[in-house]
Amino acid sequence: MAALLQHPCYEEERLRRVADKLPCREVQAGTLLSVMGGPEQHSFPSIFIYGHRASGKSHVIHMLLRELELPHATVSCVECVSVALLFEQVLLSLFGCDAASLLPRSPSLSDFVRIYRQQCSHSPAVQTRYIVMEKAELLRDMDANLLPALLRLQELVQDNVTVILLSEIVWDKFRPNTGCFEPLQLHFPDYSKGELQQILAQDSHPSYSAELYSSYINILLGVFYSVCRDLRELRHLAALNFSKFCEPLEEGKVKESDTHKLWRNIEPHLKKAMQTVYLREVSSVQWEQLQQMEEKDTGAVRGLSAHAHVELPYYSKFLLIAAYLASYNPARTDKRFFVKHHGKVRKTNFLKKHEKTSNHLLGPKPFPLDRLLAIFYSVVDSRVAPTASIFSQISSLVTLQLLAQVGHDDQIDAPKYKCAVSLDFIRAISRTVNFDIVKYLYDFL
Amino acid sequence: KVDVSAKWKLTSGKQKKASVQWYVRVSEIPTGKISLLGREPHPQEVFYYESRSCVDEVDAESIISTVQVKLRGRDLYCRMRLQFSFHLTELSFGTFIDFLYIQILLILTESSLLSTTPNTPRTPRHITPSIPSRSLPARQPANVLEEARTRLHVSAVPDSLPCREQEFQDVYSFVESKIMDGTGGCMYISGVPGTGKTATVHEVMRCLQHASDMDEIPPFHFIEINGMKMTDPHQAYVQILQKMTGQKATADHAAALLEKRFSSPAPRKETTVLLVDELDLLWTRKQNVMYNLFDWPTRRHARLVVLTIANTMDLPERIMINRVASRLGLTRMSFQPYSFKQLQQIIMSRLNKVKAFEEDALQLVSRKVAALSGDARRCLDICRRATEICEHSAPNPSSTGLVGMSHVMEALNEMFSSAYVTAIKCASVQEQLFLRAVIAEFRRLGLEESTFQQVFVQHQALCRVEGLQPITVSEGLAVCQRLGACRLLLLEPSRLGVQQRVRLNVSQDDILYALKAD
Repeated sequence: MAALLQHPCYEEERLRRVADKLPCREVQAGTLLSVMGGPEQHSFPSIFIYGHRASGKSHVIHMLLRELELPHATVSCVECVSVALLFEQVLLSLFGCDAASLLPRSPSLSDFVRIYRQQCSHSPAVQTRYIVMEKAELLRDMDANLLPALLRLQELVQDNVTVILLSEIVWDKFRPNTGCFEPLQLHFPDYSKGELQQILAQDSHPSYSAELYSSYINILLGVFYSVCRDLRELRHLAALNFSKFCEPLEEGKVKESDTHKLWRNIEPHLKKAMQTVYLREVSSVQWEQLQQMEEKDTGAVRGLSAHAHVELPYYSKFLLIAAYLASYNPARTDKRFFVKHHGKVRKTNFLKKHEKTSNHLLGPKPFPLDRLLAIFYSVVDSRVAPTASIFSQISSLVTLQLLAQVGHDDQIDAPKYKCAVSLDFIRAISRTVNFDIVKYLYDFL
Repeated sequence: KVDVSAKWKLTSGKQKKASVQWYVRVSEIPTGKISLLGREPHPQEVFYYESRSCVDEVDAESIISTVQVKLRGRDLYCRMRLQFSFHLTELSFGTFIDFLYIQILLILTESSLLSTTPNTPRTPRHITPSIPSRSLPARQPANVLEEARTRLHVSAVPDSLPCREQEFQDVYSFVESKIMDGTGGCMYISGVPGTGKTATVHEVMRCLQHASDMDEIPPFHFIEINGMKMTDPHQAYVQILQKMTGQKATADHAAALLEKRFSSPAPRKETTVLLVDELDLLWTRKQNVMYNLFDWPTRRHARLVVLTIANTMDLPERIMINRVASRLGLTRMSFQPYSFKQLQQIIMSRLNKVKAFEEDALQLVSRKVAALSGDARRCLDICRRATEICEHSAPNPSSTGLVGMSHVMEALNEMFSSAYVTAIKCASVQEQLFLRAVIAEFRRLGLEESTFQQVFVQHQALCRVEGLQPITVSEGLAVCQRLGACRLLLLEPSRLGVQQRVRLNVSQDDILYALKAD
């Protein structure tokens, strides 16, 4: 396998050391190394590397650059909110802090190129310099000339420099409308199940045998592989749940060879983990505490989404119910639901054909304030005066983001709102005031 | 060694003029001044000799004009002319003569001292920006075609502009009458590019300057600003002030100073002629720059004549608010595009009996240009290009014939033919196929716009029809975005991916013509 990583300019021994640190990425590292060439050779002006999250893009680049001791600058485009920071970081790591201090307060691209060239003339490149841009998709949101200039930086500064862009997005969505220098594209494919197994099995626990850990990883992948192929996520889950896996061994109930019993023990636990800790309903600290406490109530602790219960004043609850009804019922049916003596109901005509599709699938519809108040008075049994408090409760529902104001053109005259809460939430609310909301919803007739 | 002869001329009014000539050996010119020249003086050379400091006290208008070097006997001599104008009230006749002698002696002693003992050059006080001079003199035209080419260059403005006699007369009489009366006024000159607006006004100014030198009209001051050369419309104030007084100030301060200068009476104030080129670029939201420029001439003591030049005829009605347009007044002049006969005449007058073109070739150029725009610059460019083509196509460089019809046709094709058609013809197979797919999709939809997705379906179908391997979406996007970068297509930002909408930037007929021609 290490045979793939070969280059006449580097020592065999060193390359083998690098290859050991890049499991399952020998092909990509080999390609990259052959594109980069020897340290004194001119490299490609720009290389674009794309692949899914946690497919080893930054890892491979950094291992190569660090282990082969090549001069490089690594810039994360998330950190560089302005181009000034970006230029400063590049100059800082390539030429030291003297060069970075030469930059003016708000540098333009030409300032950067000027200072780079100036520094180049002082210290000409013996080896290819590399500038690595992580999360390069954010470069598109900076100045329009930045990305095209970086792609041909080698030409601009007349130095042996290579810009490496790392991104999760394909190059087609990067290309500026005015055209640019096309970079060399390199794809990092996803790890297969076998490769994931191989990588995860590397960090085994010292007090247990490697085979045991490997079988544990096998069980873990059997549960999680269908929903998650992210290496970092899987590694996190493996670390969290291993102590649970080892419990029967510590207690001496089973032996290491008894894999079926171990599997029986861990599988429901992992399935529960998928619904709780994987969705971050329960934080990993809480999860570890739970494991130590007792076996029974894993999952008995209520997650984040179960906390979606808000204490509201009495009329606010009714206002919210009225808003929900106004959002999800067609205005045509209001008379039928909310007026006591509305005449004869013709069942056949009532359900119109195009309204057969559920309103809950289409999302809430905007409604005017008048309709909200009309429904509100109809659903509240007692007489409510339209005081300032009622209206202020409507606007505080907006600030709580339970209602949303639509079309900010008119604040006072005829404001329109949308209800922004889910069905479960409104059901819980209507249960507290003994109101059967399902009876009033058009979709559930 | 020194021969001083003074000529006196009594002019009308209180002003006197004196012109003094004397001869100096070339060796006696200060070495510092020769080194400024950067080369050995040529017998026909004409250059400026500046010595501002000695005449500051005398109200001098042109200090030392050109210096000519002449051969007299065995020695080379410098002939210098000094021109003063002064007021009798300030100096009596005798003192002036004495003064003049002292000045000249001072100049000469200074120069002889410098020539013998060159001392370290002092830092110049009023330095004028200059460009480095060339080490070799400019090449003289070798053959007829090169001669024609130098004459036809756009920068070689002739002394008299043919076919603009009427316009010249109108502008001349307008400015002359204002100068004679000592009043002010505005004039708006419009016309499409290349119809000789600026050249005519410059010609008028040259003639008026000459007339004022001849004392036919009172002296005046000519200032020129160009809206295109300013970063901000308010810079106009700064430039006007600097050209009038040499003072530097910020825009607001300059506006205040100019306001004061134009509204307050002052004795011996000369008429100022202000030429404003590219007027439309001086437009601001409040239009205060334009307002001021047109308001100053209406002041009683301003004595300002403003000539404005722009391209569109209805500019005052279109962009100016009423109070600005009314101050601009109704003195308008529009330069019509040249007809083919006029263009022909212009080229003939430029060539001035240099026989380089066939009659028919000239006629073809002028007819083509007149039919399109009537732009004289375009016409001259085509002629110059035709001479180059003729030179290249000749079998040996020494014997080049006249520029014929074929050369002119080639030049015209180069200049007028649409680059889009050539670009489509030279595009790759997949790019051409993509353009065909765009047209096919437009025909299917009946719209002039569709998404990349829809076009790509057509493209794949066309690939199969043509027997080509269908390309991937990524390659299709690359093709599409390359066409977009050439501006054959108009595209939305590429981050929309396959949802980006595609429109054509060329007419469908052009594409069909280009694809069918082979």
